[in-house]
Amino acid sequence: MNLTIVLQQLVNGISLGSLYGLVAIGYTMVYGVIRLINFAHGDIMMVGMYFAFTGIAMLFLPWWAAFLLSMLASALVGVIIDRVAYKPLRNASRISALITAIGVSFFLENSFLVIYGGVPKAFPVPSVFGGAINIHGVIFPNIAIITPIVAMIFLMILLFILHKTKYGMAMRALSFDFETVRIMGVNVDLVISMVFAIGSFLAALSGIFWAMRYPAINPLIGIMPGLKAFAAAVLGGIGSVTGAAIGGFIIGISEILVVALFPSLAGYKDAFAFLFLIFVLLFKPTGIMGEDLERGRF
Amino acid sequence: MKLDRNNILTALSIALFFLFVWWANHHLTSYAVRIWEDTLIFLMLSAGYNLINGVTGQFSLEPNGFVAIGAYVTAILILTPAQKESMFIIEPMVPWLANLHMSFLPALIIGGIVTAIVGFLLGFPVFRVRGDYLAIVTLGFGLTIRVVSNNTITITNGSLGLKGIPTYTNIWWCAVWVVIAMIVIMRIVDSAFGRAMKAIRDDEDAAIAMGINTLWMKQIAFVTAAFFEGVGGGLLASLITIISPTVFTFFLTFELLIIIVVGGLGSMTGTAIATVLVVWGSELLRVVEQPMNIFGLHIPGIPGMRMVVFSILLIVIMIFAREGIMGQKEFSWDWLFNKFKGKRA
Amino acid sequence: MSNIILKCENLTMQFGGLVAVNKFSIQIREGMIFGLIGPNGAGKTTAFNMITGNLKPTSGKVYFYDKDITGMKPYKIVSLGMARTFQNIRLFSNLSVLENVLTGYHHKLKYNLIDTILRTPRFYKYENQMKEEGMKLLESVRLEEKANFRASELPYGERRKVEIARALATGPKLLLLDEPAAGMNPQETTDLMYFIQEVKEKFDLTVFLIEHDMKFVMNLCETIAVLDHGVKIAEGKPEEIRKNPDVIKAYLGDINA
Repeated sequence: MNLTIVLQQLVNGISLGSLYGLVAIGYTMVYGVIRLINFAHGDIMMVGMYFAFTGIAMLFLPWWAAFLLSMLASALVGVIIDRVAYKPLRNASRISALITAIGVSFFLENSFLVIYGGVPKAFPVPSVFGGAINIHGVIFPNIAIITPIVAMIFLMILLFILHKTKYGMAMRALSFDFETVRIMGVNVDLVISMVFAIGSFLAALSGIFWAMRYPAINPLIGIMPGLKAFAAAVLGGIGSVTGAAIGGFIIGISEILVVALFPSLAGYKDAFAFLFLIFVLLFKPTGIMGEDLERGRF
Repeated sequence: MKLDRNNILTALSIALFFLFVWWANHHLTSYAVRIWEDTLIFLMLSAGYNLINGVTGQFSLEPNGFVAIGAYVTAILILTPAQKESMFIIEPMVPWLANLHMSFLPALIIGGIVTAIVGFLLGFPVFRVRGDYLAIVTLGFGLTIRVVSNNTITITNGSLGLKGIPTYTNIWWCAVWVVIAMIVIMRIVDSAFGRAMKAIRDDEDAAIAMGINTLWMKQIAFVTAAFFEGVGGGLLASLITIISPTVFTFFLTFELLIIIVVGGLGSMTGTAIATVLVVWGSELLRVVEQPMNIFGLHIPGIPGMRMVVFSILLIVIMIFAREGIMGQKEFSWDWLFNKFKGKRA
Repeated sequence: MSNIILKCENLTMQFGGLVAVNKFSIQIREGMIFGLIGPNGAGKTTAFNMITGNLKPTSGKVYFYDKDITGMKPYKIVSLGMARTFQNIRLFSNLSVLENVLTGYHHKLKYNLIDTILRTPRFYKYENQMKEEGMKLLESVRLEEKANFRASELPYGERRKVEIARALATGPKLLLLDEPAAGMNPQETTDLMYFIQEVKEKFDLTVFLIEHDMKFVMNLCETIAVLDHGVKIAEGKPEEIRKNPDVIKAYLGDINA
């Protein structure tokens, strides 16, 4: 394999990894504040894709407006899911909330199946993201270059919010001590809603870029990337935003490299993240950036 | 086993159950018998599923993946070498499997054991870390088994699947296995093992502090569930005669989840009641996916509508009626007798 | 001189940059009631968790009868003869009082899964034997009438007793109590004090307890250690501790804060 291909594959892997990373952030933040694996989170990707699809192909909005509206609408969907389905179960046993989460996931998948049908839809890719550029004879698709840049910008904004704003700090504090934050007079429910909004916004962003990468969308499309993003979140250390982003890159790059180096294993591509997850649980269950969230339980 | 009142009554009710099976087999339509076969297999699956989810409190989404394993193993073992040779047209089957052939009972048991081993291997990394990730790992496993069965063409025939599986399964096979499963599972629940599992569900840290090896207890629950899911998969394979990587979807897991939630997490009695309700209810709900005419108004069939109804049902129950029909209560003869005498159970 | 049942050597626990417990050393003799006190957040429960195996210490050693148990799994430590209760009572709320106690026998279970499934004579023999023992234990703590109540149905004071009974079922030589009087009214506290003394005699125990309530500890314990900001600042008899200026300062500081 020559250097050109390695470079191409690396860019490709970084691009894919940043998509996983964006979704992983939502998993990790929600788990951090309410200790819930939000199974519906991968499906929010799908929701974002269909909203953007509707905006461009059915409402004939300019692409940027459709994208932005889709992300905002997805954020709203995330908040509504929390308020309607998860909030009533805040004090119930953990298993009740998890069962509800899987119910929400199934609901999203199937209601979109009912609305849009099961036949895959062609996602209209705006021309800006279409072409490819040629750098010294190496050809990169535009989308592969743009994706990680956009992802980095949003990651920076998120880190700024988390560390420099009052509500961002409240989000971080929540993952350590629910009661203290409540006593300090922060509106805990508002903070949790914001976490869902941010997570869903980023998942929709990731979904839209996913759809431009693989422009055929169906209602079950969010499941697999959702699962891989979860593996990324665990790998990065659940609860850590930076860890989630790094975990995303690792999973994305290794997925691309495994397929490039061992083409015979290409069929098993989707089994790969699962193996990753098992290995992480076996050897480094707290992840690479993780703090043990369970500490001080007594 | 002791010959006391309760055991005699239990034996009598099992006899009564087999009498019902005999009656159903002779007097019901073949469609109704088929639904009863489904009901019994589902009862076996959901009883095991409730052991890990309801009794032990570890949320898991394994059934469709595990049922698929049991189905494939059993199917491969009961198909004749000649059938396998004509079916594997992309690539021939690996020789030692192609020539393996046995009767239904050992095939079912091997299917169960293989699934149980897979369950054990899967449970180990997860339960070492408190079991929070069990659900996502088992969900991922269900997707992965599909990927694997699609690609291991020399074992599973890839996407073409296995056809012409001999139809051994009938209502008697289902009835006997469901009785075995219920007896084994209810006896585990009603023992020190069951108490330890419930202790883990109620407060894992306290269970650890009581000297309970929680990893081991979770494994017992999970592996028991896996065994019966494997056997259930074998029964299903021989019932539907064609299996492929896309047959056992997440919908199967979801249906079982609804059953144990409706019946009450932790109650086998509730599971039995809910299985009958959900399996037959699900049959009735097929109507919403078929085109129909109401007062001259034509409504086209809406695929997926049934699952939307199911998912809303699940969410609503979890929010408003978390206890389900039975809560964690269990039917027992003592309870019944006390009821007659008007005493507190 | 009686044997040393528990020895901690320089136990240290760090969470990230925070040192929760620093070089904590004590020795407890058989048959003692030993108290560990200190203001809120002093690291008492963390010290406990390191001893019971719930937390793995960053450094330092724990010995139970000369046996090094540092970092051993909690369920193994239980089978050696050490049992605990929790600060915020943690019963198995959906199990009956008797079933709660029976879980304590689990680590010495004498029948296996095959016996359970086949309902062998062995199963019946030991299951009945466990239930009899459990009832006897409940009688000895005067809770036999509550045996079939669900744990969540009991009043607070009785829940604490059930929790102690459950710990006794594991057959401990050393009983660790994490703030047993927390949340109790004065009457319940006095009751509990007699109760602890009574079970200590009846079951031939050594008791190691953490407490926030000074009066409770002063009346009950023979030796007291004081922890402040993760460091042991004093150890001695109740009257010595009462007069110790460091201890007074630690507690007054706590009040002012």
